Amino acid sequence: MKITFKAAGSEDRTIEVHGSLTLMEAAVRHGIDEILAECGGACSCATCHVYVPDEWLAVTGEAGGMELELLECVEARRPGSRLSCQINLSPAMDGLTVELPPA
Amino acid sequence: MTEALQLERPAHVRPEQFVDFDIYAPPGIEQDFHAGWQKLHEPGVPDVVWTPRNGGHWIVTRNHLLDEVFADHTRFSSRVILLPKASGEQHNLIPTTLDPPVHRPYRNVLNSSLAPRAVSAIEEGIRDIAIDLIEKVRLQGHCNFTTAYSEVLPIRVFMTMFGLPLEDSAKLKAWADATTRGDGSISMGDALERIGVYLKPFLDERKGKDGTDMLSRIVNGRIGDRQMTDTEALQMAVQLLIAGLDTVVNFLGFTFVFLAQNPEHRRMLVDNPALIPDALEELLRRYPLVTIGREVVEDMEYHGAQLKKGDMVATATPLGGLDPSVNPDPMRIDFKRAGAQHVTFGTGPHKCPGAHLARTELRITLEEWLKRIPEFRLADDTPLRYAGGIAASIVAVPLVWDPASTRAA
Ligand code: HEM
Ligand code: FES
Repeated sequence: MKITFKAAGSEDRTIEVHGSLTLMEAAVRHGIDEILAECGGACSCATCHVYVPDEWLAVTGEAGGMELELLECVEARRPGSRLSCQINLSPAMDGLTVELPPA
Repeated sequence: MTEALQLERPAHVRPEQFVDFDIYAPPGIEQDFHAGWQKLHEPGVPDVVWTPRNGGHWIVTRNHLLDEVFADHTRFSSRVILLPKASGEQHNLIPTTLDPPVHRPYRNVLNSSLAPRAVSAIEEGIRDIAIDLIEKVRLQGHCNFTTAYSEVLPIRVFMTMFGLPLEDSAKLKAWADATTRGDGSISMGDALERIGVYLKPFLDERKGKDGTDMLSRIVNGRIGDRQMTDTEALQMAVQLLIAGLDTVVNFLGFTFVFLAQNPEHRRMLVDNPALIPDALEELLRRYPLVTIGREVVEDMEYHGAQLKKGDMVATATPLGGLDPSVNPDPMRIDFKRAGAQHVTFGTGPHKCPGAHLARTELRITLEEWLKRIPEFRLADDTPLRYAGGIAASIVAVPLVWDPASTRAA
């Protein structure tokens, strides 16, 4: 499956992934450097923040619980904000495009 | 007599929830550690079962329940994480047996040293260690992979990250082993004390300075508005030794036995090393090896089970990746499997902070080994021996190959 990352001021990056990764793990593995993923996916650092566009939110789901609490304190929060370590990739997400927050 | 007592069913456990299952010795462990867990996935077995073994405890058998029990500290506490509970009570290590919010600041101290950026910075160092170990055995045509490679790599990586002298590796490894499985030569308490005495001068020397090695970051870590204490720093170091060595050692064992026994899969990776990361994810799904637990915070009804405050729930990661309801035909290894799910590194606040480091060590091992020793098999004179435990293992992995088939790369 393919996933595209968009960031202001740089070209779109599309990565190809298989298997059982979270969106954060896929990004880290493919060198999407903006995803710092400091806590390794424990939902406690918010350095894996991405924006999921409206049309994909039904597939990825929306933030809940601990993730929502953590998002309260991130800068540049938007309605589609998600922590990418809390999104388990599934075949239905083939073609997903997410945006990275401003640096 | 104790056996009879041990096998009794407590009143709050329903008859169909009662199973006789030893998480440290699943059925058939003499031949294969992973196969026996499938018994708990057979039709008719409830998603939550109770076994009288290891002090008596619940087992959640499905990937989504494991995910929940690992992550939901409001219902399932990390105060005790080892079974049987009586020995788990003795085991207090930072940050593993702390629940949020107390857990968070300690965990943050570890994160900076294990985050992808920090791991990238030492990747070439890890590669050098790997190459060095492989070259030592390449022309010899055989080795005990466990002692020659998998036991050595993670401790050397640890020494590098902590900025400790490489020549002390073996010594520290022996003490770390004694804290978890002790061969009797030194007791657990003794081993902990020796690690403490060994690390003390390094802790003192680095305190108050701005070193960027992991030990410096730990001693200078901030817990709220105070400094980390020496005792806490030492506990964190020990926790890292316990959590970051055997797991990698043992996973490498399962991986190399698989590759030795499955030449078609192995050759796919030799011919196309770009496939290694995907292959690794599938191997992580297929060979989960950690079995720990959580303590029930209050009486509750959970998927048909009456959990009582203080009961233990085993979180056996093999039951995640091998759950046929999320990963069809779970025993089959398919490097291109799509949408697989597992909890091999746990989930939630305690999700393994070393996962990226582990993946990096494993990937580099496969890249460098397969490039140099593409053809190998198990020495056939010794049957494999499996050992259950908090981190399951294959006791020794004797490999043989033809030196003429190797390459200096
Ligand atoms: C294949 C290798 C590994 C596996 C399968 C593994 C598995 C796990 C699992 C399942 C947990 C969750 C424990 C819980 O929820 O109570 C965990 C936690 C942990 N792991 Fe790993 N691990 C591996 C490698 C590593 C490495 C290389 C390191 C460090 C250098 C490491 C350090 C830790 C630490 C410190 C924790 C406790 C985190 C916390 O309590 O917040 N692990 N690991
Ligand atoms: S990686 Fe830390 S919150 Fe996602």
